[in-house]
Amino acid sequence: MSTLTFAAVNEADVTAARRRYPQAFGNPLVRALKIGSWVFIIVYLAWSLHLFEIGKLLSASDRAWQLVSRMVVWQDMADWQYANIYRGIAQTIAIAFLGTLLGTICALFLAFFAARNTMPVGVIRHAFRRLLDVFRGIDSVVWGLVFVRAVGLGPLAGVLAIWISDMGNLAKLYSEAIENIDRKQVEGVRATGADTSRIIRYGYLPQILPVFISLSLYSFESSTRSATILGLVGAGGIGMIIIERFRAGLFDQVAFVVLNVLVVIAVIDWGSGLIRKRFIGERGH
Amino acid sequence: MASTTTNTPTNGADRDPVTLFEGHRRQMIRDRMVVNVTLGVLFIAFLLWSAWISRFTPDRLAAGLPRIMEYFGAVMPSLQWDVMFESRNELGRYPPGSLGFWYNDFWKYITLIWETILMALTATLIGTGLAVILSFLAARNTTPAHWVGVAARRFLEFCRGVPEILFALVLVFAVGIGPLAGVIAIVIHATGALGKLFSEVVENASMRPVDGVKAVGGDWFEQMRYGILPQVLPNYTSYALWRFEINVRASAVVGFVGAGGIGAELSHVISFYSDDRVTAVLILIVLTVTLIDLLSERLRHALIGKESLK
Repeated sequence: MSTLTFAAVNEADVTAARRRYPQAFGNPLVRALKIGSWVFIIVYLAWSLHLFEIGKLLSASDRAWQLVSRMVVWQDMADWQYANIYRGIAQTIAIAFLGTLLGTICALFLAFFAARNTMPVGVIRHAFRRLLDVFRGIDSVVWGLVFVRAVGLGPLAGVLAIWISDMGNLAKLYSEAIENIDRKQVEGVRATGADTSRIIRYGYLPQILPVFISLSLYSFESSTRSATILGLVGAGGIGMIIIERFRAGLFDQVAFVVLNVLVVIAVIDWGSGLIRKRFIGERGH
Repeated sequence: MASTTTNTPTNGADRDPVTLFEGHRRQMIRDRMVVNVTLGVLFIAFLLWSAWISRFTPDRLAAGLPRIMEYFGAVMPSLQWDVMFESRNELGRYPPGSLGFWYNDFWKYITLIWETILMALTATLIGTGLAVILSFLAARNTTPAHWVGVAARRFLEFCRGVPEILFALVLVFAVGIGPLAGVIAIVIHATGALGKLFSEVVENASMRPVDGVKAVGGDWFEQMRYGILPQVLPNYTSYALWRFEINVRASAVVGFVGAGGIGAELSHVISFYSDDRVTAVLILIVLTVTLIDLLSERLRHALIGKESLK
């Protein structure tokens, strides 16, 4: 910005203005705090990057360059075993679907035990919530590794891993949806003399079902992402193909597979957005 | 799902409002039924296809469940109340069944968890910095040129589309085993995710301060610094803190491919032992993640609360 100067303003006016409106000229304490936090952040970053041996980045340039060039230049595309790759992608989607479905079914039951208005006993409610915290707090890859140890390599471990982490996530979100329902609609149905099953059918269900379906669809989207990497620990799907070809040094094929996965995930996001809009409408979420 | 039937009354009976209504209602119910049955059939077909392609059959699940129970039984700590708080005996070992025996490698785990948290913090700071710059380039209302905006948005999409652990896998090959690969991997992913959120915040910001700065002769950088940044800073801080929580989880996992943090130890412990060491590490990780979530939530509410009071 070009500096403007006014002949009419002199030093004394500035001092007077400074005394009158001290806030307009900035608080020295706030300024010191600001500068201090910036200095702290920069010192911390320098220290931590030194701790993490940032120098390795500079010395690794030729290795990194070799990797990138081999990812970009695709060779021998005729014998890449496409059937195997697309089967892996299909398996990933199947794992995500089955895991989300089973997680949804279990979460439907668990959510009622974790919601304040359907489980008045505090001890049980908190016990269920803590259990769900454990399911959610452990990453699905860790669950994948645990289940690979328990049931062996293959997609079964993947389904179980998605199942358990989705169950934790969905049950928490479902219980929040149950807590947020409108009591008036329930009372309205009750006022017409409906029995319990009809109160649930016409009072509760229309309110929570769209939210539940919408949440499960979101969960399916995020599960497809998790399922792609579950294979890295041996739990089936495309991740197993990625790591196998990476270990074999076939970086061009890895790049191809990752690009395909990105496209598939984008398509799934788009499709589930379409379903949400078509059947649940804007009010769903 | 509105029915598309056209009720064209031909005789007197059809003009009766009750008959008309009933006919219309029947038609709507029938239409709905057709949609529901089609969806149901599609759903079941997809389910069967999924079960077939992932070889997920009830008998496999039934065979797997006892093995899961067995495994979880094996990794549970065998604590005994009478020796629970015993200290080292004369041989310098903890007696079996005590807390000390269970957490024999406690300080090793704590060191690794500390490294995990530092990795997440460094990655969050760098990622936030990069995302702030990219968000102004990517937002439709502030981008300096159309092609810059498109390029920035595609770049951010790529960064957040690929999972951290895949970046980590590639980077471990490029820069070697150690936390550096993990930090860079998380930086890339966090930049992508935060850049998108930040640019959405910028797109919702008021353009009037920008016009004001432009009117007094500010260049693009000054327009962003004095026109947009003060508006979006509270949201940025809140998103960055939220991302820190996610990055802690991520940095606990990137170690699976050798990119530093507690993940390497966790993967080693799960792959080589089926005993209480697995639960020892897992409990520490869950506690750390929960604690950081709580702290960051507090901080976030404090920041937002302060801003909304202004």
